[in-house]
Amino acid sequence: MGLKGLLAGIAGRARVPVFAVGGAGARDDLANLRLRTEISMLDTPRPANILLVAGSFTDAGIAALRRVHDQMSPPRLTVHWGPTTLEGLPAEHVVSGNVDGLVDAIVDLHRALLHGTLPSEAPLLPDIDPAEWRNVGPYGQGGKGMTGGVPYGRPMAERGPDRDGIQLDRLPVTLGPWLPALPAGLTLRVTFQGDIIQEASVGPAAVTAAIASPFKEALRRPVPLADLELARARHHLIWLAEALRLVGLGALGLRALRLAARLTPQDNDAVDALARAIRKSGAFAWSLGSAGRLDPSLTEGLGPVARASGLPDDARLEDPTYRSLGFTPITFADGDPRARWRQRLAEITQSLDLAMQAPDRTAFGDGVVEGPHGRLEQGAPTPSSRLLELLPALLTGLEWGDAVTCLASIDMDPAEAAAAPPSAGEGEAA
Amino acid sequence: MSGGWPTDVLFWAFSAMAVISAILVFVTDSMVRAAYWLMASFVAVGAILVTLNAQFLGLILILMMAGEMTIMAIFMVMFMMNPAGLNPMLMVHQHRTAILSGVGSFLALATVGLFAEFPDRPAAIVGPAIVPLGQELLGTSMLVFESAGVALLAVMIGAIALVSHRGRYGDAEQGSEEPPLEVETSQ
Amino acid sequence: MNPATAILFTGGVLGAGVYIVSVLDRLLAGTAAGNREGTAALLLDPFRSVALLMSQRRTVTERPDREAWALAPALLAGLAAVAFTAIPLTPGLAIADVPVGIVLFGAALVQVMVAVFLHGWSSNSIFPLIGGYRFAALALSVGIPFSLVLITTAIPAESLSVGVIISSQAELWNVLRQPLGLPIYLLTALGFAFWGPFQHPDAADLAGGSQTETSGTALLAWRTARAALLVSAAAMGSAAFLGGPLGPWLPGWAWSILKTVALLAVMIWFGHRTARPRMENVVKFGWLVLLPLALVDVFVSGALTL
Repeated sequence: MGLKGLLAGIAGRARVPVFAVGGAGARDDLANLRLRTEISMLDTPRPANILLVAGSFTDAGIAALRRVHDQMSPPRLTVHWGPTTLEGLPAEHVVSGNVDGLVDAIVDLHRALLHGTLPSEAPLLPDIDPAEWRNVGPYGQGGKGMTGGVPYGRPMAERGPDRDGIQLDRLPVTLGPWLPALPAGLTLRVTFQGDIIQEASVGPAAVTAAIASPFKEALRRPVPLADLELARARHHLIWLAEALRLVGLGALGLRALRLAARLTPQDNDAVDALARAIRKSGAFAWSLGSAGRLDPSLTEGLGPVARASGLPDDARLEDPTYRSLGFTPITFADGDPRARWRQRLAEITQSLDLAMQAPDRTAFGDGVVEGPHGRLEQGAPTPSSRLLELLPALLTGLEWGDAVTCLASIDMDPAEAAAAPPSAGEGEAA
Repeated sequence: MSGGWPTDVLFWAFSAMAVISAILVFVTDSMVRAAYWLMASFVAVGAILVTLNAQFLGLILILMMAGEMTIMAIFMVMFMMNPAGLNPMLMVHQHRTAILSGVGSFLALATVGLFAEFPDRPAAIVGPAIVPLGQELLGTSMLVFESAGVALLAVMIGAIALVSHRGRYGDAEQGSEEPPLEVETSQ
Repeated sequence: MNPATAILFTGGVLGAGVYIVSVLDRLLAGTAAGNREGTAALLLDPFRSVALLMSQRRTVTERPDREAWALAPALLAGLAAVAFTAIPLTPGLAIADVPVGIVLFGAALVQVMVAVFLHGWSSNSIFPLIGGYRFAALALSVGIPFSLVLITTAIPAESLSVGVIISSQAELWNVLRQPLGLPIYLLTALGFAFWGPFQHPDAADLAGGSQTETSGTALLAWRTARAALLVSAAAMGSAAFLGGPLGPWLPGWAWSILKTVALLAVMIWFGHRTARPRMENVVKFGWLVLLPLALVDVFVSGALTL
């Protein structure tokens, strides 16, 4: 033991490196985990010791999770957070309960893992090439001439014309569904030329359908307006934390998360202070471009995305309670990522004001509600599913960095996108 | 660095490194490795210059090569479309021409080295060599050369300013639409 | 100084510097997040993280360039150390106060491009590769202003030796004599250490960029080397612009350390409160803003010297 035990003892006190994968319904809980100093949430599975799985997934999502599991460096352990385990993943460790219990359990499991009392999990997939080496071509690289081919079953770069009219390499890759720079569960099939996206298409859904509460309840019965607006503000703050993290402002993101965790209608001063810090950081000036502008005609019913492109489009205008409060939607004109950030920051303040004005009134309840992503209506496609259809055209031609900020700025939710047009019956099931 | 056996050892060590990494440029099957073996060779030459008390020249050589070889590696990967981490490729082509010209130039240089009469005027090592070197190279024309250098720099900056404000197809944030021009493919 | 002492000295000072960087980073991230951690946690966390990464066994990607992958962190650490040797902590205490010390420092920093590109290239994975490409664009954009403002400090000293540059500041520090110098230097040094707003090669949108596929001791080595690079850059900033060991009351080495830590704190603080620009804006900023400003710095300083 000796030195190794000492090392394990010290390492056991470090922040536990966790790669968290959130399926449908796990977004807010996982976001709150970032506030805990006992663990650190990583962007990549390689240096993680704990794979934390929460929410519900489709088979495609679980298949991708198995690959993520094998990418973690030993010692590694899978922890399920929630009532059940997932088929196909190691299922020894299930934690149900709140965040505190989860964090304690993770720290204990991690220490046991480091000390060797719990064995590291074996790989789930065989370590073999997807296909045999195909020795084709004059240099044995698998393709014609010096390019292309599928030497080990993986497609290699091919030539293609680039935007300057010369022939450069095109590399097809699949990104996601558990890439933290993308919305959780979104799979993108991308052809890169350098870091420019030449073609993009959307892969199979990795998460099951879910519509965030209390917006789902508000489809079929009136819900307290303050609940709705606080939930909306909280949703936008958690979105803001993620968007800030992606432009290198993780510390400010934690401030947004802390606000979201204990949000009250009186928090507008704190929101203003945060907005000032974001403005001072230069995020609007040099991190967000106009790359990813959406034409207003495409954005009808897309909530903040529509209002950021100048449409006063908001289901709250149709609700008598909101009308009686004198609600008017905030709009910004440009329809680009910068405008969408401004839009959501302004809407957080507006939601808190609304929640303060009407502490005990109810709103909606007859099949239409303004959700955090836009207009939810029984029998109509969800806003996220429409955003999903816009993605390929939106991302084509962007550099990867711009594509990520653009995706973050439209705030697409794969779980909501997977939801069929919400119906009254579905509301009952919940 | 002045004389003594450590300098000799370093000189021969760097010489060996220069030659070996130069050979590896052609033996490796990866474009990036080839570029950086070439850089290693240049770095060794720079180090030799340092051991010969030409510190400024040696360090400048090392300084220049890092950027140049990285750019070369990136351009090779871009234009050859062969991510050589997975796809091996041969680094030598036109074998007969290459062998003939290689042997020919080696013989020519060796002939020069063996038969030419080099001046034998060992200079005493007296402190920094920068000032004497500058006098030797430029003499009284220093101002002219410096002005020309600054003018060239200004031209380069002007060119960059002209092209970078707006790319051929607009800023990157406009998205890179395919240009509406005929692209000739040489297949 | 004999070689063994020199190696121990460089390693020891840089190691202490890396520790200070990681504590400062955690502390200043906490203040930006509005969250104060306990002192013990702050001071002990670096050791815990080291132990954690040392206890990880590495996994590798499909067909990586293993040699280059192993070489990249070592090269980066070595370059940080070489850069550091050119800087005298006190007039007598320099490992390589060669007559062209400032060129030695520049040559070491430019080679960082090789280390980062190889690190991104070698794991045979798309995001690390893009990270490597990004560093080439970043380093080329900030490299020339970086070298220009650094070399400008040699004009009043009429020497490329760092020791002479320090002693030339006896009456007036370069930060006052060349007011454009230090801000440009700090910004571009952040670029070379790909830190804070210039974290593009290892950024969150690339899921860690060049280090996406790296774990265990290799990741530890990479992060340590990157912090060491920041320390070397700050030490050079203090020597070239703040008079290094010059100062009243305290011994020279203490002034050097104080000024270096102060510059580190400024850079890390700035990093946590500044958003990462779009890559295109970085290139524009480097070539269209920093480079002309650096040239103004050169011309004005040259004219003042004549």
